[in-house]
Amino acid sequence: MSKIYIVEDDRSIREELAELLRNSGYETDCLTDFSDSAAQVLAARADLILMDINIPNLNGEQLLKEIRRETDTPVIMVTSRTSETDEVLSMSYGADDYITKPYNPTILLLRISAVLKRSAGTASVQTYSGLQVNDAKGTLSDGSREMTLTKNEMIIFRFMLDRKGMIVTRDELMTALWDNDEFVNDNALTVNISRLRSKLAELDCGDAIETRKKQGYILK
Amino acid sequence: MRIIDYIKDRCWFYLTAAISFGMMLLFLTAYCVSVQLIGCISVIYLLFIIIEELIGFFRKRDFYSELSEKLEVLDKKYLIHEMLQKPPFLEGELAYDALCEANKSMCECVAEYRRSFTDFREFIELWVHEVKLPVASLQLMAHNHKDELGDKFMEQLRRIDGYTDQVLYYARSENAEKDYIIKPVSLKRAVANAALKNREDIQLAGACIETEGLDVNVMTDGKWLEFILGQFTANSLKYKSPDRELAIKVSAEDMPDKVLLHFRDNGIGIHERDLPRVFEKSFTGDNGRSYAKSTGMGLYIVKSLCERLGHSISVSSEQGSFTELTIAFAKNDYYLN
Repeated sequence: MSKIYIVEDDRSIREELAELLRNSGYETDCLTDFSDSAAQVLAARADLILMDINIPNLNGEQLLKEIRRETDTPVIMVTSRTSETDEVLSMSYGADDYITKPYNPTILLLRISAVLKRSAGTASVQTYSGLQVNDAKGTLSDGSREMTLTKNEMIIFRFMLDRKGMIVTRDELMTALWDNDEFVNDNALTVNISRLRSKLAELDCGDAIETRKKQGYILK
Repeated sequence: MRIIDYIKDRCWFYLTAAISFGMMLLFLTAYCVSVQLIGCISVIYLLFIIIEELIGFFRKRDFYSELSEKLEVLDKKYLIHEMLQKPPFLEGELAYDALCEANKSMCECVAEYRRSFTDFREFIELWVHEVKLPVASLQLMAHNHKDELGDKFMEQLRRIDGYTDQVLYYARSENAEKDYIIKPVSLKRAVANAALKNREDIQLAGACIETEGLDVNVMTDGKWLEFILGQFTANSLKYKSPDRELAIKVSAEDMPDKVLLHFRDNGIGIHERDLPRVFEKSFTGDNGRSYAKSTGMGLYIVKSLCERLGHSISVSSEQGSFTELTIAFAKNDYYLN
């Protein structure tokens, strides 16, 4: 379970953010005393740091500089300042991503998992119950048979594979697709999922994706 | 300054001079002064008047013709006193001093307004950033405690966010300082971000988006471009046709000297009469009056942002069938290669 450290001075946002992350299966920890922020952030040994720019004492950019001197832990800057200047500055100090408030929680989760995945350096080939998943070729194979997935099907399968055993909402799947420039609508998503199911069935994994009514899907 | 105008202006002097000359002749004749002497005195008198007038004319002419010539070519006419030498005659000096004085007072006045405008703008910017915190907090709450109201709250919160963004970018578009960064921006990324931000609204409206040829970088400010695309999307959603499904097509055209970004929808379109005025401030037109509530600010802000970034924007439309907005991004070989 990845640990995410939240640096945010607005109490209400901090608490809701922690809840959101816990609900999505992350461990969280928050900075509450900003007098010695750098040392505390480093002591937490988190896998990822979510950081606001407007925080007391050291501001986010200075804090980021301090942290970067010690560690390469991925940092996502989260701020209400919508400006390219801040983004360029943060990125140049070594932030891994930059998100502006108010954010769509689903998009935030998507970015977090993308950054975590990048820093973990996951290989492009993964397995799912005996199936080889090849991102580059866009295929699933069980050694003897190979099944080609469309781009959309691959995005959906990858997304669910990364959250194996957890409920994935249609909303999240939709966000993942749109984030990859696939502007599909509700019907197309349904079609894509049923096609993915039938392709999995041909590889003898017919019941891999289960539907949870009014909640979403789950990859067993 | 023409000599004829000067003479006209001096007619009272000539009249009094003529009367005094007449009276002098009368008295000289009455005292039986010799005709030669009268002739002599007359010539001296006339010579004096002519010379005095010529000197007066040329002194003034130099100053005033310089004034009007410089005024003609100056683009900021209120700076005229900086361009003039102090004139060598009394009236001119008085006028010159008054001009300087008036100008100084105007500058102070303008500076005061500029200061208060800047203060106001900074406060607006600060306020927008502040108000985004509770909005962010509410969005998280609505997401964390999802019941049937969650989505409705989310929808309203997106509206609040949209309106505050409009205020922020309005303040930015009116600002004289440079607060944007021009760098290569992927059109694909910008369009995806804008679409993602408005995804729920687009899906609620049942719209579909098609893209074409967006694999191109343009020189612009990414955040501003996303806001502009967001405004386009909001307009398309607002003015969709009731008879058919809304389809939005975003395409780019890579040309030797520029990149054109087309944003086309199949909505109700804009009446030909209103078309030239859609970028005007507070212009609502037929559509704004009869379909959806409109502030008439969206496209005005978009236009000002485009002007500041150095892009040109145009619109074409046919009522009842489509609206197409096109932004032209100039290419700069120095940056792109």
